[in-house]
Amino acid sequence: MTHKGQKVEVFVLKERCKGCGICVAVCQTEVLELSEEKNSHGYRHPIVINADRCLNCGLCEMFCPDFAIWATIEKEGVLG
Amino acid sequence: MAKQKSSSLENFFHPTDYFLVSDIFPTVWCPGCGIGTAVYSFFEACKEKDIDRDDLYIISGMGCTGKISEFLCLSSSSITDGHIIEKAVHINEKNPDKKIVVFLNNADFLISGGEELKKAKKRKLNILIIYINNFIYALSKDQAFPMTPYMRRSTKGEFEIPFNIPYMAYSIGASFVARWTPIRAGWMKHSFVESFSVQGLSLIELISPCLIYDANTGRILDPVEKMAFYNDNSEIQFWVPVKNLDLRRQKRIIIGKFLDINRTHDT
Repeated sequence: MTHKGQKVEVFVLKERCKGCGICVAVCQTEVLELSEEKNSHGYRHPIVINADRCLNCGLCEMFCPDFAIWATIEKEGVLG
Repeated sequence: MAKQKSSSLENFFHPTDYFLVSDIFPTVWCPGCGIGTAVYSFFEACKEKDIDRDDLYIISGMGCTGKISEFLCLSSSSITDGHIIEKAVHINEKNPDKKIVVFLNNADFLISGGEELKKAKKRKLNILIIYINNFIYALSKDQAFPMTPYMRRSTKGEFEIPFNIPYMAYSIGASFVARWTPIRAGWMKHSFVESFSVQGLSLIELISPCLIYDANTGRILDPVEKMAFYNDNSEIQFWVPVKNLDLRRQKRIIIGKFLDINRTHDT
């Protein structure tokens, strides 16, 4: 499933993440999951498991308190 | 293909990184704190209204909320308790073109510094005051203070009645009064957008989850449980009379927009 036929890309800056898990709880289409490995600060960061199901709703970006995750629509190979 | 993109991820940054210093991450707040969400929605509102970095001046106080001005890539300052709105008055005299935004927490606003609101009203400033209320002095945990909820107390002492901030702002003469929780981040952003075009004082109270503050049990809740707690116990109602907004014996927190009129000519 994609946003109006366009591909959506989800980005995670894992060194900014603190592993609160709000993005995983807030995602309605179960795109994200907390990873087993940890980042350099010792937190479990989210990873993208179902990238096809992202709707680009922006909830994970909106609720992330650490500015660590966002999604964009991919336009002709150029990330916007 | 996915590996190539993740390796070149350093070239792409978060949409609000235009306003932030990206070297200082991770931020100093607890995981799941509501202050980060407030900062994000504020800068999203700035982007929607085409407000550049040079048009803003951000003042914050001490403590957790005061750390906001540490990682902003624009003119900002962190000032001791009690002088914050006074500083806003001085900055407005020197830079009348800049939009002044003040981030306050409980200690800055209710113990010392809240009386400066009258000065800001008298000088007819167009400032936006974002008051982040997390029901606690987060860095000094066990004190009771004017916003402690009704059936809560410190280890010794009596119950106190919490303070009604929107009513106080109304009586001083604010033009725009709203109250939101960070779980309504989209509404919060909409209120920031509206308050940029308000003439006069505007105060937005954000009831923000604090991880140290235990809600109803003895243990510290998860960030997700905390967000769910504020989601379940809040209720959106618009244009409620500000007198009814105290958190005294309410079972649910009333959030919404309550006042939006031009009151610059009131004295």
